[in-house]
Amino acid sequence: MKRFSATRLKIVRGAFLALGVTLALAACQGGVSRDGEVRASEPEQKQGPRIEQLRARHAALQRQLSQRAPDGTYIIVDTARNRLYVKRREVVLLTAIASTGSGTILDNPDRPGAQWVFDTPRGEFAIQSKLANPVWVKPDWAFLEEGLDVPTDPLQRLEPGMLGEYALGFGSGYFIHGTLYTRLLGKNVTHGCIRLNDEDLRAVHRLSRIGTPVIIF
Amino acid sequence: MNRVCLARCATLLLAFLTMTAGPASPSSLETGDFETVREANRVLEEEIKLAARPQVYLLVDCSERVVLIKGRGVELYRLPIIDWRLSGEGPLAVVFRLLVRPPVVRPKAMPGEDPSSDPIDLHDMPADYDLVFDPALILAVAPPLSEQPWLWAKSHLREWWRHVVAWVRVTVTADQAALGAHLRLTLSEEAAQSLAWSVTDGMPMLIRRATSL
Repeated sequence: MKRFSATRLKIVRGAFLALGVTLALAACQGGVSRDGEVRASEPEQKQGPRIEQLRARHAALQRQLSQRAPDGTYIIVDTARNRLYVKRREVVLLTAIASTGSGTILDNPDRPGAQWVFDTPRGEFAIQSKLANPVWVKPDWAFLEEGLDVPTDPLQRLEPGMLGEYALGFGSGYFIHGTLYTRLLGKNVTHGCIRLNDEDLRAVHRLSRIGTPVIIF
Repeated sequence: MNRVCLARCATLLLAFLTMTAGPASPSSLETGDFETVREANRVLEEEIKLAARPQVYLLVDCSERVVLIKGRGVELYRLPIIDWRLSGEGPLAVVFRLLVRPPVVRPKAMPGEDPSSDPIDLHDMPADYDLVFDPALILAVAPPLSEQPWLWAKSHLREWWRHVVAWVRVTVTADQAALGAHLRLTLSEEAAQSLAWSVTDGMPMLIRRATSL
């Protein structure tokens, strides 16, 4: 019994010691004074309630900003590093090596002074069309670039199989599509479209729908 | 006796851990002063408006030393700032629009030639340049002395010359606004090239000032 009391005494003493150390450490940090009063630093005392309001406002604004992010799946294209990401909120669903615009220019011989600039457009767009087994309708520049005359017969412009299994249009004639030139993936070689390999193209086609945002930078 | 000592040590350790425990690394906003939080809120208010529109914008965060490329409030890419310096006069708490971006030499595709033979590349971008914004602000970007001594020196010379011209103009016209604001960012060569690649005409930009500004 006596031994039990001694142990309890030791525990109580230990607890008081811990309390003392806690108070001493708190005093060192400026939060609690030697008298045990909670004392804030000088500016915080003046601005205490206001800074709390500001922090609450900050949290509310951050929530508001996060609501601006796309609701569902969205596509990000990094043209500098030729990468395409499919994300849902903060989760990356797919990372793909892409090819984007070459940045080169081609003079239009029919209109002096006019030229084509082969850039991938930057900004925010949306998937507007999803085509299966697309046929490329070769534009004028594709013939001129190859040193050929532009054909008068529209049928001569059709080139099946060049764009892969799918083409996802995001406006102004730009598409995310497949490629025969997979060795050029990761390089800036296209006329503005975004090329992917077959497997990644299938995944992007599966994950996206009409209206899916495409953010390109 | 040993058990008593052990118990005391454990209690002391527990007390110490209780005192020192907390969030792993509190953000500057949790520990920051009144001005830091107020400035962060101002930037957020502006950013919410920018993020409502389908566009890509820049956020130069001097407080956190980072340039963020963003769209819809989503961080698209992050470029660390090695150092920054602000000089001149002018409002900073506004949305800036990019007027002039660095010139890029574009290769010309020749008919009949392989168009993939000479594409433009991230490494073709300049690492030392000025971005001119409206309202009057020049954002001068350059790599650090350790990476590119020649570009660093060139950029400082250009800045010095701009100050001389501005000083003469202020002296002659007594127009303090002629000074304009000038924010100098030291970025790694790759980050500077990435920024040059990503900026577009009319691109909006926000600056989150450090409280010392």
